[in-house]
Amino acid sequence: MRIFRTLAGWLVVAFFFFPIFFWTSVAFRNAKDIFSWPPKFFEFEPTVRNFEQVFGISLGFGFGTQETVNPGGGNFYMAPRLWDSIVVASMSTVLAIVVATLAAYCLSRMQFRGRHEFVNWVLSTRMMPPVAVAIPMFFIFKQLNLLDTYLGLILVHGLMNLPLAVLLLKSFFDDIPAEIDESALLDGASRWTIFRRIVLPMAKGGIAASAVLCFIFSWTEFLFALTLTQTGIKTVPVVSSTFVTSIGTAWGNMAALGAAAIVPAFIVVLLVQRHLVRGLTMGSLKQ
Amino acid sequence: MSVTQVKRIAISDSPWPWLLPLVSLLVVFTIYPLIYNIWLSFHEFMPRKRALVFVGFANWVQLWHDTRFWGALGVTFVYFTIALACEIVLGMAVALLLDAELPGFGALRAVLSMTLVIPPAIAGMMFLLMEDPQFGVLTYLLNMLGLLDKATPILATSSLALAGVLVAEIWQWTPFMVLIFMAGLRSLPPEPYEAAMIDGASSLQMFRRLTLPMMSRVIAVAALLRGIDLFRVFDYVFVMTSGGPGTSTYSLSLYAWQQTFSFLKWGYGATLSLVSLAIVMILANLFIRAFKVRW
Repeated sequence: MRIFRTLAGWLVVAFFFFPIFFWTSVAFRNAKDIFSWPPKFFEFEPTVRNFEQVFGISLGFGFGTQETVNPGGGNFYMAPRLWDSIVVASMSTVLAIVVATLAAYCLSRMQFRGRHEFVNWVLSTRMMPPVAVAIPMFFIFKQLNLLDTYLGLILVHGLMNLPLAVLLLKSFFDDIPAEIDESALLDGASRWTIFRRIVLPMAKGGIAASAVLCFIFSWTEFLFALTLTQTGIKTVPVVSSTFVTSIGTAWGNMAALGAAAIVPAFIVVLLVQRHLVRGLTMGSLKQ
Repeated sequence: MSVTQVKRIAISDSPWPWLLPLVSLLVVFTIYPLIYNIWLSFHEFMPRKRALVFVGFANWVQLWHDTRFWGALGVTFVYFTIALACEIVLGMAVALLLDAELPGFGALRAVLSMTLVIPPAIAGMMFLLMEDPQFGVLTYLLNMLGLLDKATPILATSSLALAGVLVAEIWQWTPFMVLIFMAGLRSLPPEPYEAAMIDGASSLQMFRRLTLPMMSRVIAVAALLRGIDLFRVFDYVFVMTSGGPGTSTYSLSLYAWQQTFSFLKWGYGATLSLVSLAIVMILANLFIRAFKVRW
């Protein structure tokens, strides 16, 4: 029984892992090994040319021949675009976490009228369809000259992540006993001092986990990035959708960019795996 | 305001200094765009005049007679229902399977969380390649199993296109459900199971009588969060089919987006996005009431 269950578990996960494996292997293929029927799984000649083209660098090593160029591939030089994603995701994370930490501490510790309704309002902003925000935002940003700027996309991504960050951080603060605050209050410490000296250090792990999730959601976001940028800045998901050209799709380059975009994000997620479920459910489930 | 006054407000017990940044940002992000959107829905862009013109309720009337809107609504509901059902059932099945301390299962959970960091737009591209009629690996496998003709372009066949998109959706988000359900299963108390074991209950009985009721809150939270995202599906249809062939994969979000940015129907696009917002809000609130979901 145990052995069957182990086997079944491995099979199921292999099934879910297969597209990732296949996609990553496409990143290391020449055109002739991508466009083949029957499709090749392992028996292809590996190359790093796709990565070299996408990042505009010469890795100076390679397996086998480096001559073949993908049809429609051209030179997609994407290193600056990766930088755009990094700037937007990290700055919007800082924005969301700073604002959300203050609010979450307040919602976790202070009693005031309408507190419950306030939490519900924050939650309800998570339900807004992005398209219902993106359309008016496009026109508002146009008037404010924020289209195609880092600041514009950072603001929108930061705001998009606020409900998640507030509710998640509140659940982390709720885990720190309120008695600690109260005894410090009796000793004459201000709320601000308690927040800075006691609560923030104790919730470090939770804040890090929230930051990682905000980063990932900004990193993977598509609709806002597509709508609110044109040529000046482009994030990785938007760039990857432009690899489909009229003369063909640069699958190899796209796969290389995709693989490069997944790996760092996955490493970061592994670091906060303990808090992952709590983050995905905005703190409503504790693990 | 002097520095000391600022300090005094910051240390007082009023919630407002703490909430002010959040409230001001949320107003900018939700209330102002909402008002702007409503204003837009009563206007339309006239290319000849190169300006927005007040059109009264014309956009709302047009909505009622627009068969493509009703089609998009239908596609969105079908997508929502199939994806949510598959993700909950598959997610629960896999979670139950992996909910054991067997060799390597810890690593398997980590592998599952990989799908969550892939941008959905890129995941859509992955499946676009795999479903290609000439060299797609998924086409090849289906072909080998005798389920599909070689020549069939899945995403360009109107009866199959939505299924082709749903495969990407379900592949990417079932692991999300698995991780949440596994966390829920691990937090269940062991006593009821021990009692049921002594009474000689079968594992199916235990699942129906114990696991399901005790997991209902976890399932409700997962269904709510995933459902909200499913209803506004955009990324997959945008990169995989752009709504086609014909209108067989037009989702409401994609239709609103295209009306605004491809056809320059700014007012009508805003109207469509407002309808989509209203539906999500109403459905989510009904669900929250019915299943008593609380944060």
